[in-house]
Amino acid sequence: MVVEAPARGIRTHPLDPKYRNRHPKVEHRMTHESGGGRLVVDGLEKHYELDGAEVPVVKGVTFTIEPGTFTSLLGPSGCGKTTTLRCVAGLENSNGGEISLDGNVLSTGTRHISPDKRDIGMVFQNYAIWPHMTVFANAVFPLQVAAGKLPKKEARKRAMEALELVQLDSYAHRPATALSGGQQQRLALARALAHRPKLLLLDEPLSNLDAKLRDTMRNELRSLQQRLGITALYVTHDQSEALSMSDRVAVMNQGRIVQEAAPRDLYYQPADRFVADFVGRVNMIPAVVRGRDGDGDALVEAFGARLVTPCPDTFGTGADVTVTFRPESVRWHEVAPDRPNLLPARVVRVEFLGEIVEYEAEILSGQTAVGTIVGRGAPLNSPSLGDPIFIELTPQACRVLAA
Amino acid sequence: MKIATIIAGAVIFLLLAIPLAVQVITAFRGPFLPFGVSTAKWSVENFVTLWSLRDDFWAVLGSTAAFVGGSTVLSLLMAFGLAWVTVRTDAPLRRVISVLVVVPFIIPPIVKAQAYLLMLSPESGVLNQLLRLLPGDLVIDPYSFVTMTVIQALTNVTFPYLMIVPILTSMDGSLEESARVSGASWAKTLRRVTLPMLWPGLLGVAVLTFILGLGSLEVPLLFGQESGKSIFALKLWNLISAGAGELPQYGLAAAWGCVFLVITTIAFVIYLRATRNAERRASISGKGFRPTVMKLGAWKIPVMLAILVFVMLTAVLPLFALFWSAITPYPIAFSFEALVTQTQFGSFGAVLADPEFWASLGRTLVIAGGSATIACVAATVLAYGIARARRTGWTKAVDLFASSSVAIPAVIAGFAMFLTFMVINPVIPLAGTIVALIIAYSYRVSIAYRAGYSATLQIRMELEEAALVSGASPFEGFRRIVAPLLMPTVFAVWIQMFVLGTNEFTLPAFLATPESRPLSVYMYAMISPRSAQLYQPDQGAAMALIFTLLVFAIGYGLQWVVSLFAIGRAKRRNPIPGVGTADVVPPADPVAPDTRAVAAQDLEERRQLARR
Ligand SMILES: Nc1ncnc2c1ncn2[C@@H]1O[C@H](COP(=O)(O)OP(=O)(O)OP(=O)(O)O)[C@@H](O)[C@H]1O
Ligand SMILES: [Mg+2]
Repeated sequence: MVVEAPARGIRTHPLDPKYRNRHPKVEHRMTHESGGGRLVVDGLEKHYELDGAEVPVVKGVTFTIEPGTFTSLLGPSGCGKTTTLRCVAGLENSNGGEISLDGNVLSTGTRHISPDKRDIGMVFQNYAIWPHMTVFANAVFPLQVAAGKLPKKEARKRAMEALELVQLDSYAHRPATALSGGQQQRLALARALAHRPKLLLLDEPLSNLDAKLRDTMRNELRSLQQRLGITALYVTHDQSEALSMSDRVAVMNQGRIVQEAAPRDLYYQPADRFVADFVGRVNMIPAVVRGRDGDGDALVEAFGARLVTPCPDTFGTGADVTVTFRPESVRWHEVAPDRPNLLPARVVRVEFLGEIVEYEAEILSGQTAVGTIVGRGAPLNSPSLGDPIFIELTPQACRVLAA
Repeated sequence: MKIATIIAGAVIFLLLAIPLAVQVITAFRGPFLPFGVSTAKWSVENFVTLWSLRDDFWAVLGSTAAFVGGSTVLSLLMAFGLAWVTVRTDAPLRRVISVLVVVPFIIPPIVKAQAYLLMLSPESGVLNQLLRLLPGDLVIDPYSFVTMTVIQALTNVTFPYLMIVPILTSMDGSLEESARVSGASWAKTLRRVTLPMLWPGLLGVAVLTFILGLGSLEVPLLFGQESGKSIFALKLWNLISAGAGELPQYGLAAAWGCVFLVITTIAFVIYLRATRNAERRASISGKGFRPTVMKLGAWKIPVMLAILVFVMLTAVLPLFALFWSAITPYPIAFSFEALVTQTQFGSFGAVLADPEFWASLGRTLVIAGGSATIACVAATVLAYGIARARRTGWTKAVDLFASSSVAIPAVIAGFAMFLTFMVINPVIPLAGTIVALIIAYSYRVSIAYRAGYSATLQIRMELEEAALVSGASPFEGFRRIVAPLLMPTVFAVWIQMFVLGTNEFTLPAFLATPESRPLSVYMYAMISPRSAQLYQPDQGAAMALIFTLLVFAIGYGLQWVVSLFAIGRAKRRNPIPGVGTADVVPPADPVAPDTRAVAAQDLEERRQLARR
């Protein structure tokens, strides 16, 4: 169901009959009245000019974010994530394609609504907290400026509500510079939410925090987004962030979206080698399709051995393919059980990583090593260095991709 | 925003380009004014004349090079030594020294020059008196070329000092430490690591000091006139202040000006390269480090003695000489007998009772304040626009142009402004008015421009973008985010330009009439024997002292007020941190405190925490 989100005009609340200020019940009201917008980005193009030449940076990016959902843009450094986000925010003018929020066109290749009229909130990578203001002044700013001007009293109330959401209400009078990194982060969030935008944009907001804090903030951010039901577009290059927080993840590479899917699908059914490699760790085994068995699974030749794997019909016999296999799905045995996809191997590296152990085994064909497989498992159940073992690549965990 | 940038750019362009253009045109149009007189026509006659008098030309060039070059080298050496001692050594009383060294900065150069003249008087000068106490028959001749050069160096030394200190402070000590760890001695580290690292920055300082020296009229006017040595500044001055019955030779003077502009342009190019290199080598690491401190050990005593001599020469003795001159009716040597019998303090009263003193003081404040305001506003707006614009050939050109006034020596600026107001006088009668002086003083706009430019670069783009996505229009973003963040810099520059303006002598020497003259010129009239009716050396000296005191009070007073204001605001909006409740909402103050105040507040809080 598409929630019909109120226009930005909700902030002129005297005209809004539904509005009542029930201060302690912040979350409830925010959920109902902010509402998320539906963001549609269609064929977005952006190029920069460098020394007179046009360098394309975003090349036809298309995606839709349903109201109230959380989508991540995931990709390696320099792939154009920030640029995409800034085009949505209106901080860059796109060169082609259309961006619309709840049916209002924000940007075409030629006409652009300015950022202040877009009804968005944005959290910047380095927070962009205004150092010359107090915490409160930062949060109330969006409610004092032209686009969202509210009567003074009302503006105060809403700013305090936003601060309360991120548990900064007791710091309201502090200079904003007297906050810790995590607090500044939360203040940036409060400021982005204070005017109850339809869309929240976040550009790697957690990358400046230490690992522990990052985990905490990750959970807070996600639960806040769900409580408020706001639409969120989140940019990150950290796959664990993207997988853990998002409803949908769009993987970008070199200015294009290569796959958009729910986190699980992305992880287990990567569309191509790039996605498989970028999202999580993966073993890539070059192979050739040799035929089909009775269940429709393919028989492929890899490491001089035969492997059974599910395989799309598009790959005919003789096709070069890549078999991908996640390290945590690798199983090992001292004695070979009577199952398919067993490869003799020798352990060449064992690394203790705390909660897991990672090991690397050379696949043997006779006495010669023909390749390596990386596996991960519980510390108590790990092979020792130099052991001859059998590696099992369970057919259901194999995935065949184009070479 | 764009329109404001363009207007600011146009103001600065008119301010700098028109006078220079008028000067160049004058050089090519006739012996007198370039327009509105019958003799004006296009010709290269002035340059021909210049060439026919080439013996004179080479003499002036040579003595100017020796004078300005010598004094620049000397003041750089002194400034570097002082800065090194105050920043990089464990010399005792470093803080006191660093304050004392800056005192000469607030003594107007014309006052300093006059004080040296008094100090060096062969009979009654206090310095020569002191020298007579020493064995050997040492007397300093005030009108020798060397004396003049040394005095010029002493007069200008604070300027390079103030520029070198930040360079030394921001140097990353770890680079030197690594040289030391690799086994290099102190001396070797200095030679192989420190100096090469500092070199571009120091070269920039050297060029600016050189241009400052070339442009200042004070010392040549007081010392060179008698010594017969023709220094460029003085030459220009003499050419346009013609004797009775003669026409002043503006054309020839303009030709001279053109030649020297070429020289300073070359210096400016060197400066640009040097500072660009300085940026590339950027030795500022950004982390909170302290430069390593050199242990003076046995050198402590000679170093302290040298500093004592310096402070005596630049602050104590000049002020004393002025004071002595103010309390004695005519030049007499200091002695206790004279102190008892000859002194009278009437001159101070006479100055304070002199309505012309108050009038010219008022004009000084108006001119300095007005020009500082014009320069700061125009420069800041333009600097913001240029720093935020995409870098194209066009913005680079504007940037260069707006920075270029540092390349114009004050004498040339004064002369060119003078010509300009003469030329436009039939249409816009400004010549000799206070308005003309305000406009002329504003020519130092590049100081404010450079400061505004780098301050804008310090403000991260995201801060403005955050305002935009919060729904603020670009103008609101500028007013509420950028402007308050730029304010501390703008205030600091304003104060600096204001103090420079009150001290200014060279520009009004060319431009002011008795009706519009600021205090510095009025004072010069009192102490210069050639201005017959006004000549009253004791009143002049008293006025110089009062003047210095005023500049001091105003400069520091302003700074104090600004910092009080900022801290006060930070305090007011920050009642006991951490205990605010949701229903105590602070008043939304539209103007915010400056960042330094917030930082100070922050520091104080942390200190309190630490105490607990
Ligand atoms: N102003 C600019 N002018 C020219 N090129 C630019 C500009 N801004 C970004 N680029 C280029 O565009 C490309 C994409 O930049 P973008 O900032 O969108 O990357 P990103 O995906 O956000 O990377 P990261 O994860 O490192 O933040 C990069 O190759 C970058 O060099
Ligand atoms: Mg980025």
